Amino acid sequence: MALSLPTHSSRSLLPLPPSTKPTFPTLRRLNHRVSLVTASTPLLQVNDLRAKIVESNVQILHGVNLTVNQGEVHAIMGKNGSGKSTFAKVLVGHPDYEVTGGSVVFKGENLLEMEPEERSLSGLFMSFQSPVEIPGVSNDEFLVMAYNARRKKLGLPELGPLECFSYLMEKLQLVNMKPDFLNRNVNEGFSGGERKRNEILQLAVLGADLAILDEIDSGLDVDALRDVAGAVNRILTPQNSLMMITHYRRILDLLNPTHVHVMDKGKIARTGDISMVETIEAEGYETVSAST
Amino acid sequence: MNGVGFSPAAMSSLIPFSSSSSSSSWISQKKLVRPKALTRAFTSDPYVLELAETLEESIPSTPSTPLPLHNLRNVASQSLLSTAWPSRRDEPFRFTDLTFIRQSRILPLSHPSAVKILTSHLPPAVYVGPLSALSSSPLLHKVSQFLPHTFPDADLFWSINGIAAPDLTLVYVPENCHLQDPIHFHYTPPQPPTPHPSDTMYLSNPRVLVVLEKGARAHITEDFSSAPGNDNDRYWSNAAFEAVIGEGAKLSHSYIQTQSLRAAHIKWTSVRQESSSAYELTEVSAGGKLGRHNLRIQQLGPDTVTELSSLHLSVGDQTQDLHSTLVLDHPRGYSRQLHKYAQQTDAGQLTRSLLLEPRATVNVKPNLQIVADDVKCSHGAAISDLEESQLLYFQARGIDQNTARRVLIFAFGGEVIDKFPSSSIRDRVRSHIKNLLDPSSN
Repeated sequence: MALSLPTHSSRSLLPLPPSTKPTFPTLRRLNHRVSLVTASTPLLQVNDLRAKIVESNVQILHGVNLTVNQGEVHAIMGKNGSGKSTFAKVLVGHPDYEVTGGSVVFKGENLLEMEPEERSLSGLFMSFQSPVEIPGVSNDEFLVMAYNARRKKLGLPELGPLECFSYLMEKLQLVNMKPDFLNRNVNEGFSGGERKRNEILQLAVLGADLAILDEIDSGLDVDALRDVAGAVNRILTPQNSLMMITHYRRILDLLNPTHVHVMDKGKIARTGDISMVETIEAEGYETVSAST
Repeated sequence: MNGVGFSPAAMSSLIPFSSSSSSSSWISQKKLVRPKALTRAFTSDPYVLELAETLEESIPSTPSTPLPLHNLRNVASQSLLSTAWPSRRDEPFRFTDLTFIRQSRILPLSHPSAVKILTSHLPPAVYVGPLSALSSSPLLHKVSQFLPHTFPDADLFWSINGIAAPDLTLVYVPENCHLQDPIHFHYTPPQPPTPHPSDTMYLSNPRVLVVLEKGARAHITEDFSSAPGNDNDRYWSNAAFEAVIGEGAKLSHSYIQTQSLRAAHIKWTSVRQESSSAYELTEVSAGGKLGRHNLRIQQLGPDTVTELSSLHLSVGDQTQDLHSTLVLDHPRGYSRQLHKYAQQTDAGQLTRSLLLEPRATVNVKPNLQIVADDVKCSHGAAISDLEESQLLYFQARGIDQNTARRVLIFAFGGEVIDKFPSSSIRDRVRSHIKNLLDPSSN
């Protein structure tokens, strides 16, 4: 399957409704059911994944099993240190972690054998929890470079900065940011909220079959959260899948997960639907994890 | 353009010293052994003496030699007598491996036209040219008070230049004179005759003295590049640049070093700042197998401003060494330093390691002597966390590691390159660095 490269003409994007409560998920749900029926192989198949921190040799993942099909929205919750972020980082090939066992198949290919850039080009995106500053490299330069890497992979001609401009502007609107956002250096001097929006802007520009959002909601105020969640809903078509790592219910209400997982001690301890979130909020992770 | 015309290159050879054969020959050299130095001479390094001898022979000493130059040579040869060839055990050379010079056959070139001066027209009271061509004796007298200048950390290479500089290029800017256009010094690398033995290293010793009188302003560019098509020549540039910046005067200094990747480039920059003067140095050193810049700033009065920005780039087996000393011993000396190092090496075939020293900004407080940045790029062999996370960030967005590295190094150096006042130099340096990082790009 070709990775979903958004193009200028693919969709017309409406500006975000300023403050109305978003109601977009309905269509997603319907389409989602259809896609579930037609999907033959899972988009992501994780079996007994084990990983440790390279430097300290500490084992963090103790056998994660997870299947994500096309169009599904998964939420991974769990207390601090349960391995949620490590799981996301291992999937994108973070060099701080070493896989010690298990397998990950993404779109029919062995993900663990791929370099981080190959994983990205094959349609896996992760928003960083704390995106790093890149002084001396402007946001538009970076986006054009990443966008062109994607075009190159698809056999399309690379575009110059000017040719990309209108495309970038369109995506910028999607995350509700001013154009000068593009001239600033990548994440340099960005507030917490700006960094999160910048991650979503990159997702909007690059597209993804599976977007992993690692605590995209932490540090965001209500308006920013609505902007971000709204943008995510607009970026993802019913064919895309989403995996979000979060501590909070707010974003789940905005993005409507089809599956909710609780991670505990480096494993997925329990899987359910959105109703499990209420139990977690009422009784805490310990109870939920223990009741498997 | 002012050309500097001199006699053709005088060359003499120096055979690397071998301990038994020539250890006594220097004693007979009357030029070198002066009574005062005789006692110290016993502790000296025979190799250095042999080198000094060769250097002295290469310089035509005539009655017409200007007095300041004559005095400079005397003082330099005195100090050479008691100076040994530096080893890695000497603290200032701990990170500088000089063996490849030491093992070469050094042939001094007394070719004064190594310095080409490119300027547009200058006000009449300004002098830019060789000291030997100076006819004004008041000016010669003025220059004499600045030469020779010695200081505690002057090393062997300062003295070698002192002995062997065939002439001195003088820049004199009188009181309150503001030069609009930059003065451009183009240093032509020693051109070895072909064919020549592969163990030979041709040595040149260009020397510049800049005197800015009270309230004067000038911008000087020193450009050490390799001759086109001579990117692999073996030579040794041993340059010295001295500046005396008068009260309230300002010197902007651009220094670009992109010499042959088989060359040794050793350079002294010694600046004395009178009160309320300003000195700005912007340096990009990306050439040479060995590049070493000794930078010394001495405050002569209060309220000085010193801004140093440098980018050192090492590719492959290059070493770039900046050795800087700021002596701020008067009130209200302000100094800001930005030194950046980038190194790209091939460490085996599979992994390429990149070292980017994090930005080092040193804010120097008054009345403080700071000996900073005795740094070779090999500081820390691993990629730091920040840099690794930057690389991953690019990769996670589909950009391959090699491209990411190039962009990061380029971004990293950009802050320094942007400080060059001349846009043509900025462009040239950018494209040079681009080519160094990615030879396939052109």
